[in-house]
Amino acid sequence: MDHLLNIVDVTAGYGSITILRGISLHLDPGECIGLFGPNGHGKSTLLHTISGLIRSTSGTISFDGTDITGAKPPQIVNSGLIQSPQGNTLFGDMQVFETLELAAFSRRARKDRETNIQKVIELFPRLGERNTQKAKTLSGGERQMLSIGCALMCAPRLLMLDEPTLGLSPRLKEELAVAVGKIAESGIPLVIVEQDVEFLMSLADRLYLVEHGEIVREIDRANAPGHDEVMRLYFGEHTH
Amino acid sequence: MNPALRNIVLPLACLAMLALVPVFAIDGYTRHLFVIAFIYAIIASNWNLSLGHCGVFNFGHLSFFGVGVYTTAIAAKTFDVNPWLAILFAGVTAAIAAFLVAAPVARLKGIYVVLVTFAFSQLAMQLVLSQSYITGGAEGIVRIPYLRLGDYSFLKDYKLGYYYVGLGLLVISTLFLLAVTNSPFGKSLKAVRDAEDYAAARGISVSRQRVLVIVLSAIFTGIAGGFYAIYLRVASPEVFGFGTLSLALSMVLIGGAGTTYGPIVAALALTFATESLAGLRGFEEARFIVVAVAMILVLRLAPGGLLGLLDKLIPEKRQE
Amino acid sequence: MTETLIATLVSGLVLGSLYALMASGLSVVWTTLGVFNFSHGALMMVGAFIAWTVSEAAGLGLLAGITAGTLAAAVIGVIIERLLIRPFYGNRNMLLITVMTTLAAMIILEKGAQIIWGARLKQLPRLIDGEVSVFGTTISAHEAVLAVIAPLVLIAIWRFTVSTSTGRSLRAVGQNQNSATLIGIDVPVAFALAFGLSAALAGLTGALLGSIRFITPVMGADPLVKAMIVVIFGGLGSLGATAGAAYVIGIIEALLILWLGLYWTPFVLFLLMIIVLIFRPNGIFGSAE
Repeated sequence: MDHLLNIVDVTAGYGSITILRGISLHLDPGECIGLFGPNGHGKSTLLHTISGLIRSTSGTISFDGTDITGAKPPQIVNSGLIQSPQGNTLFGDMQVFETLELAAFSRRARKDRETNIQKVIELFPRLGERNTQKAKTLSGGERQMLSIGCALMCAPRLLMLDEPTLGLSPRLKEELAVAVGKIAESGIPLVIVEQDVEFLMSLADRLYLVEHGEIVREIDRANAPGHDEVMRLYFGEHTH
Repeated sequence: MNPALRNIVLPLACLAMLALVPVFAIDGYTRHLFVIAFIYAIIASNWNLSLGHCGVFNFGHLSFFGVGVYTTAIAAKTFDVNPWLAILFAGVTAAIAAFLVAAPVARLKGIYVVLVTFAFSQLAMQLVLSQSYITGGAEGIVRIPYLRLGDYSFLKDYKLGYYYVGLGLLVISTLFLLAVTNSPFGKSLKAVRDAEDYAAARGISVSRQRVLVIVLSAIFTGIAGGFYAIYLRVASPEVFGFGTLSLALSMVLIGGAGTTYGPIVAALALTFATESLAGLRGFEEARFIVVAVAMILVLRLAPGGLLGLLDKLIPEKRQE
Repeated sequence: MTETLIATLVSGLVLGSLYALMASGLSVVWTTLGVFNFSHGALMMVGAFIAWTVSEAAGLGLLAGITAGTLAAAVIGVIIERLLIRPFYGNRNMLLITVMTTLAAMIILEKGAQIIWGARLKQLPRLIDGEVSVFGTTISAHEAVLAVIAPLVLIAIWRFTVSTSTGRSLRAVGQNQNSATLIGIDVPVAFALAFGLSAALAGLTGALLGSIRFITPVMGADPLVKAMIVVIFGGLGSLGATAGAAYVIGIIEALLILWLGLYWTPFVLFLLMIIVLIFRPNGIFGSAE
């Protein structure tokens, strides 16, 4: 069984603190999967581990048939596994166009730089308007668009979005949902980490509930419970 | 290691041993090495007060030493001040110099403290080199008066007198440092080092503390400088140089920044180590390279200093 | 009177060019790695000595010497980054530790140079002999060349960091390491590059300076302090501010030498620096705090 992205039994953490405890999930071409669950339970840690920012202590990660467990980040980016991280701080003093141009840094991405810039501006026209503005002067929503735009400039063969709607107004969330939908339609497989389960459900083919560093539930279109039950799963059992 | 053992018995035992050294080492050269070691021990342990204990990036510490050296040299030789008084006077001028450096850097961010204090010490050297009619310029001052007590001249007895004066100064300086670090003031210094924002929120005036600690660290450093000038009977601009700086810094690091005894032990060890290196042919300059390399190795491998390593090896250590 | 003033201003421009070259290297390292390189002056000295060895001792000519000096300094810079900075990435006390490791590096380079080349004064020949008349006053042709080369080099660096992918990657790494990594930038490589570039600048300055100053193992100490004063004035954050501050300091220094003489100038400069810091703890062009 050759998945595009295959995470098998991965444990990882920071120093002596273990966050991921044998987590397993997979993604196939053309799919869009969502990860949801309480804060601090390992969703971002998982993305960081896939991207090579954190070394896993056991388990394997493979992408497109190649084992990338323990691979260095530049190598992973070069193979097209791209992450748009949480909290869109980016490069405060760099202008929008500089940032987008720079993001096509890996050898693979460099080839299609000009085409991709056009595509990003088409997808997020507001970035085009703010072309020469520095990232720190953009609004939260615009910075999020820039962050996703950057990820697109990396010519992703798989795109991971960490909390793309964090802190955004409902109207912006809708805009973003449309944009992400278009990205999915263009054939790029997606992994989306989100607090907003509604957002996820409109886009994802499958959902994973992550708790205490493990997958506790996998939900797909086939066995999809009703919207209300998902809410209960998410909120009901985890009152803080 | 039992705290009482570590903090009282062990140091007293070492002190007793040091007091007896001249009984066994009767030659001038060994005693000379000890005197130099005592002086460096004072410099390093006092530097630890500002750098290690309080976390102030003070890189002008050696200029306090140099100020002390030249104060005493000029006072004793040019103005015929009694050498004993000249040594004490060095502590005063060093404290003043410390205040001049500390006041501007009180509110500055880390890197600027480094730059300003470092630049200050460079300027001090330049002052000494340029005002040669007072300081003797690059050649320095020679034939500085020596210590006397009544009829007894300290030049006699193969430096026996100087040995005990040096040891005595080290003891007084150490008691001073212990008193400061264990006082409420000293404890609040540590709080500032470990969490500056928190300390400020508790109402501790960070900048005033900084100034005070830098000035306090300068007093005995200056006195050590004065003693150095009287003992060697020479004052040269080298006291402001990087060689002296690196030696003192490595003692603080290797001994363990944050401890008072650590730098003292390191000073004794390193003085003997570098002096014996200086004896080997071709190593007079290279020994500074050895010291610099040692400093780097300690930072990479044992940031708590060697004494910190020792603590880890002895299993019954209890955390305070 | 105006003649002396013009002569002073011209010499101030020359000094400023020198300081700009020196300080820009410090700025590159600071903005990319967030550390202050205390061995910067020593790298300058190494550049001068290597230039001398290649040019005079081996007789290969001045241009070869300058190139060799610049390259040698760059290589040593990369080694310093690898051995003395990289092990402390992410350490809570990285700034203080790297201050001490680069201080140690300075001593190793200084004493090493003393052992290898001895303390006797050496000098490089000038790029161009003779004198040049500028605005009615004369300065040596070599200094004039220096005053022209410096801004060119600075502009080149500026273009590099603003327009090229590699240069932009250095800026990105300095602003957000995580995001830089996620777009495929190899951060350790970027650090090594920044340090190498900075060291090359120092080496180049040393090689150029070797003709108008004496080459000694301690020749880097004073320029280092001057560069410190420049970055304090200009703030460490931006290349432009550093360059601007360098020229300002150069001119102020020249004027001070004219009015107060050589001896008192360093102190007044130092005093000015302190005064600036009291009102603007982040340098004149930095933010007030």
